[in-house]
Amino acid sequence: MAEGVVFDLGYRPHEGPRLGRSGARWALYRDGLRRVLGLRRRMRRKVFPLVLMAVAVMPALFFVGISVVLREFDAAATFFGHAQYFELTGIMALVFVALAAGELLIPDRVNGTLAVYASRPLTTIDYLLMRTASLATVVIGFLWLPHLVLFLGRAWVSGFGSYVADNWPTLWKTLLASGVYFLAYAPLALLIAATSKRGALAAVLFLGVMLISGGATAALVDSGFKSFGLLALNQHPGYVKDWILGSHAHDWIPQQAGFEPIVSLVVILTLGALCGLLVVARQKKAA
Amino acid sequence: MDSLPVVAINGLRFAYGDIVAIDGISTDVPTGRIGLVGANGAGKTTLLKILLGVLPAAAGSVEVLGMNVATRQLDVRSKVGWMPEGDCLPPDQTAADFLIYAAELGGLPTRAARQRASDVLGLVGLHEERFRYMGEFSTGMKQRAKLAQAIVHDPALVLLDEPTAGLDPEGREEMLDLIVRLEGFGINAIISSHVLTDIERTCDWVVMLDGGHVLRSGPMTDLSTPGELEMEVVGDPGPVVEALRRLGGVVESGGAAVYLKVEGGDPFMLARDALAETGVAVRRLGARRTTLEDVFMGEAP
Repeated sequence: MAEGVVFDLGYRPHEGPRLGRSGARWALYRDGLRRVLGLRRRMRRKVFPLVLMAVAVMPALFFVGISVVLREFDAAATFFGHAQYFELTGIMALVFVALAAGELLIPDRVNGTLAVYASRPLTTIDYLLMRTASLATVVIGFLWLPHLVLFLGRAWVSGFGSYVADNWPTLWKTLLASGVYFLAYAPLALLIAATSKRGALAAVLFLGVMLISGGATAALVDSGFKSFGLLALNQHPGYVKDWILGSHAHDWIPQQAGFEPIVSLVVILTLGALCGLLVVARQKKAA
Repeated sequence: MDSLPVVAINGLRFAYGDIVAIDGISTDVPTGRIGLVGANGAGKTTLLKILLGVLPAAAGSVEVLGMNVATRQLDVRSKVGWMPEGDCLPPDQTAADFLIYAAELGGLPTRAARQRASDVLGLVGLHEERFRYMGEFSTGMKQRAKLAQAIVHDPALVLLDEPTAGLDPEGREEMLDLIVRLEGFGINAIISSHVLTDIERTCDWVVMLDGGHVLRSGPMTDLSTPGELEMEVVGDPGPVVEALRRLGGVVESGGAAVYLKVEGGDPFMLARDALAETGVAVRRLGARRTTLEDVFMGEAP
């Protein structure tokens, strides 16, 4: 009978490379992705993001599937064009951002995990940038993926090379529009999350601000207070998106108030910058 | 102090608004296990946060592992671990996942981080629990997980803030044993505690803080009191106390305990003579053991 031998390896110090700040930032980014998607978390954390993504992509897959089966693609007959598709996914993105922003910032603060970040080669700015980058990746990906599916489906049915050559700007335009939606929603959601202790409460507050701003400003613009059109926070990304995609299917509140789409873009960027500064200040205090 | 100090503090000052937490302290601490003691509010946690660069010094300079904290904050953090006093563990993550993440945050590549996480979880006795969510951990397990995250990236120095807080006696012993073992791993430790016996048990150098000032910074061996003895007698200590005083000793007594100090002489010889003269029986006799508490109470203003 062979005799077993136990080797006590003892304490083995790390003698390999250290990646320093860049490694820490990359780890933080990947953790953000996992957290937003609920990966390596309990099942209930995975359900919502995966269901939302499935719902967002499903119509695109359905139309592509029909087109492939029929071997033709009639753009006029499809229920969704690229601009219209954003109106479905834009609402989902709003809800998704509301919940994901809280998931990214609140547990670290409430559970005291910021103390762990404080003892690693990271700054507060690194922390916020990487958290924002992970949210941006998922939200922009989530908004853009159906357009990619539609594009590839149409290309497949219409003869790949010629379709791609004629329509490739659709890809960057839809990507740009996805980014606009992210910029319009995420900074305020992150700011509210940075000041809240409960994710659900932060999400409700964010959704309330966004939706009420739309409803209230619509009434004010109708009553002749045109300048309030700038406060329709949930309307700006759609208006800018239509501008980018050259669509005129929707009559947005800022448009009714007489503002050009560039003004909506400036509002989005200004509000984003302001919220960003406030988030940094709040996070530095919390750290 | 033979080697380069782990921490070199010069004229450090820090205030929260009008409240001065650290008031111009200067001290060097050597490699090994360093105790940082003081009452609540003495400035211990503030000092640890300054060492990490979390709080900026208002005045003075701090060097950790030979690096200036003000100018090389992130380099310092790559080489330092911190076990905070409060919670720092996400309850919805498993210990293994969190430790891998904590190691990656410390700059370790993913493969090395996995290996280190596994090793360190074994080291702190959590290997069997590695796939449990940390929200299900007991207080003792949480403290061990906190220590694990502080050392998982193989730092040269670890700052432990009240590491035995909330632990039962058994958990406390286990934690102190782990801390003692750190030096063998090449990890220096600064242990902040207001439990003086924990520091006596684990440290070989002590820094005493009170009201933002350093009361004392030196090796634990300096706390012994040569030239003094303590004994416990059977029955009334009165006659032997009187005899000791007559023979030139400085005597304190409390109950059956007698403390003797002789200037320039051997207290044991004096005690022998006094005991022989009075015929008093002795239950215990030895060099006087000075505790950190004695020193702290004696030196605190």
